[in-house]
Amino acid sequence: MSNGLIQKFKDKKIISQLKSHDKEAFIRVYDENIADIYRFVYFKIGHPEEAHDLTSMIFLKTWNYIQNNQLESSRTLRALLYKIARNVIIDYYRDKSTKTPVSLDDENNPIEVVDNSIDPQDKIDQEADLDLIKQKLPLLKEEYREVIVMKFVNDLSLEEIADISGKKRGNIRVLLHRALIALRELVEEEQTKK
Amino acid sequence: MTDRYLISKLNNLKNVKPEASWLESNRELLLTQISNSGASQLSAWQTFIINLQSFTKVVYQPAVVLGAFVVVLVFGGLFSHQLFTQAKPNDSLYIARIISEKAKLGTIFNTTERDRLAVQFATNHAQDITAVLADPEFNNENNQVEVARLNESFNKEIDTVKTKIGRLAGTRSEVKTVAALSTNNDDAVVSIASDLTDDQGIQLSENKPIITEIVLENTSQTEEIISDISEEEAEEVKEVEETEETTDTDKILDEAKQLFEQKDYNSALNKLKEVNEIIK
Repeated sequence: MSNGLIQKFKDKKIISQLKSHDKEAFIRVYDENIADIYRFVYFKIGHPEEAHDLTSMIFLKTWNYIQNNQLESSRTLRALLYKIARNVIIDYYRDKSTKTPVSLDDENNPIEVVDNSIDPQDKIDQEADLDLIKQKLPLLKEEYREVIVMKFVNDLSLEEIADISGKKRGNIRVLLHRALIALRELVEEEQTKK
Repeated sequence: MTDRYLISKLNNLKNVKPEASWLESNRELLLTQISNSGASQLSAWQTFIINLQSFTKVVYQPAVVLGAFVVVLVFGGLFSHQLFTQAKPNDSLYIARIISEKAKLGTIFNTTERDRLAVQFATNHAQDITAVLADPEFNNENNQVEVARLNESFNKEIDTVKTKIGRLAGTRSEVKTVAALSTNNDDAVVSIASDLTDDQGIQLSENKPIITEIVLENTSQTEEIISDISEEEAEEVKEVEETEETTDTDKILDEAKQLFEQKDYNSALNKLKEVNEIIK
């Protein structure tokens, strides 16, 4: 319970600081969340460069939103970031006039394993994992892909995912369960073929 | 492939990150953009105020809940009995009244006092039931289930009163008797010991009566006169005293019950009030 209160205090504090135009607070928010938001966008749209642009836009929009609104619709700042990210992606799809998922194995936009500090063997494993997931993840339904990335890649809690997506916690559990089954079936099907 | 295996593979995707160079350049770009909208560094005072406000917002809600809980607990404890005593048998708070009365009985260690209070409570219940059933708005065709339940409750309360009064009478006879002297001295007090006497009782011999201390009801002091008296006489008086008291209340209770069954609720109520006066 005390951890929950401490986290609540930190959330309220950072939002108050952002509302007071605190630059330092913005830098903290940026550093803590940029990787997660980038990953979320990247796995949704499949283009690294466009993921960069959209991620920048998301942070700017979040800053502007906090200046002009009371934070009532989201329980935490992180939830707000993800909500804005989803809206930005929807606008992106609308502008591109495409709603079909793009393969992460686009020839013009190869997947970059950008962390050069990792062990070569780990790198191979990661690429193998990436190969597997990159092929099958885009084939999943949009909502399945979204919850899988939020929960298992970005480590959001069920409550946060429920808050972001506007669904109930129970529905998210069911969705996750179905998403994993769907992804597993796709992966096993591929493995059987090989 | 198990879910756990799949999840571990998904977890590996955490290593997908934007380039460090892009992170740095993007940070600077964003800072420039937000500076145009008035971003600046907060002063120590502003930071302190924000910390205080955030702390207040976080503890406010649990503090309010805790405060409300404490208030309800304190005032509920202080005033609940007064509130509940007014609850009638057809009220939703009636059960709270019963619980409150049971709790009060539980705090009384003296058996006699407890029985006396229990009699009072049971008589009050019987009176309230009678009063509710006397109301034609409640006692009608639509409410027959409730009426039947209250009828049953009434009988139970009467039985409780009888039992407790009987017990009270029995208890008194074990520690207190009044014996009529064979002399003309009205102030004489005869000491007779009872089986349940306390440490002050002294047994003289097998052939003589057991001696104890008794209190004469008309006097504030106890006078001790030891005299011989036949046990038989003492027993007789004792029986008369007990019989008179229980007979009176039993008789009135039976009358009340009879009137209740005849649905003469107002008369039954009067009888119960008489019982209340006797036991006070």
